[in-house]
Amino acid sequence: MAEVDVKQKILAANQAAAASIREGYQSSGTLVLNLISSPGSGKTTLLEATVKTLRDRHRLAAIEGDIATEKDADRLRAFGVPAHQILTGGACHLDARQVNQALETVGDPLVACDILFIENVGNLICPTSYDLGEDFKVALLSVVEGDDKPFKYPAIFSRAAVAVLTKMDLLPHVSFDLAAVRNQIRTLNPEGRLLEVSAKTGEGMDQWYRLLEEALERKKSGRSALAG
Amino acid sequence: MKKRQPEKMHEVGIATEIYRMSRAIAEEHGGGPLEDVFVRVGELTAVEPDLLEFAWQALTMETPDARSKLHVEYCPAVQMCQSCGQTPERARGRWLPLCPNCGTLLKVEGGQELDLERVSFLEKE
Repeated sequence: MAEVDVKQKILAANQAAAASIREGYQSSGTLVLNLISSPGSGKTTLLEATVKTLRDRHRLAAIEGDIATEKDADRLRAFGVPAHQILTGGACHLDARQVNQALETVGDPLVACDILFIENVGNLICPTSYDLGEDFKVALLSVVEGDDKPFKYPAIFSRAAVAVLTKMDLLPHVSFDLAAVRNQIRTLNPEGRLLEVSAKTGEGMDQWYRLLEEALERKKSGRSALAG
Repeated sequence: MKKRQPEKMHEVGIATEIYRMSRAIAEEHGGGPLEDVFVRVGELTAVEPDLLEFAWQALTMETPDARSKLHVEYCPAVQMCQSCGQTPERARGRWLPLCPNCGTLLKVEGGQELDLERVSFLEKE
């Protein structure tokens, strides 16, 4: 019998694909975000509002990950933004190889842009493990999902540099302990940013846009997209 | 119909990757069947050790590696206090907002491990 010491990352192949994506976007200065949340927490709605506001100032593009249908890509195409749909056919997350394939297939619209939004498959668990070459992960949590979620899904909330509480306009109608959620997110990721928004009413959205534009400016000047 | 990889549970995808890496190492050394494969899985990877071991059995079934075993070392995320340096104990899946000793916000460290540590295999006959 023979034994070999390996000491390698299990996701090394994914990591290598992610590194090549990251390298490509480093030279173009494109800001790349990986949006992760459970289904129905408002990722696409946040993106609709975002592209509507920022499309005149920046070249935007999106990759949409879903198990089935092109609905999400269609919603963003309606705003004239190039959007590519990846259908995973059952897989619960996107991996870097799929993103690489999309970049090769689609080319310029996804490659030559200022901000690329990658909307992951709706799932708070599996997407966490797969680096897609993004500058940072954004975790979304809507106030209707319940105030216990960060501690129930610690992996994503500890890894996402930015957490966004969505559907804040519904806060008066649900029992959601905002202070407790802020505390949980801060516990899991003391250095992370937390935003509270409603894409519907526009509440807090200015902060989101400012965060994106500051990150883009940092990326364009060759610095890390988030300060600190 | 197009044949699809059975990647619907993500532990299957991870087990597939471990299997691919382990086989490649065995092939480099003569290509005998796998015996023991040791991996480390962190609490914050969203990978469940039981499901990973189950996926391994399913993947290696009816292959020359069917008798191999995947050994998962579970690595808890550590909550460190940057103020007093303590790492207070907590149960798996329970998070402490503040240091019980000095009241400072605790920082989560570790728990991100997802590593193939070592592989053993038989000599090819």
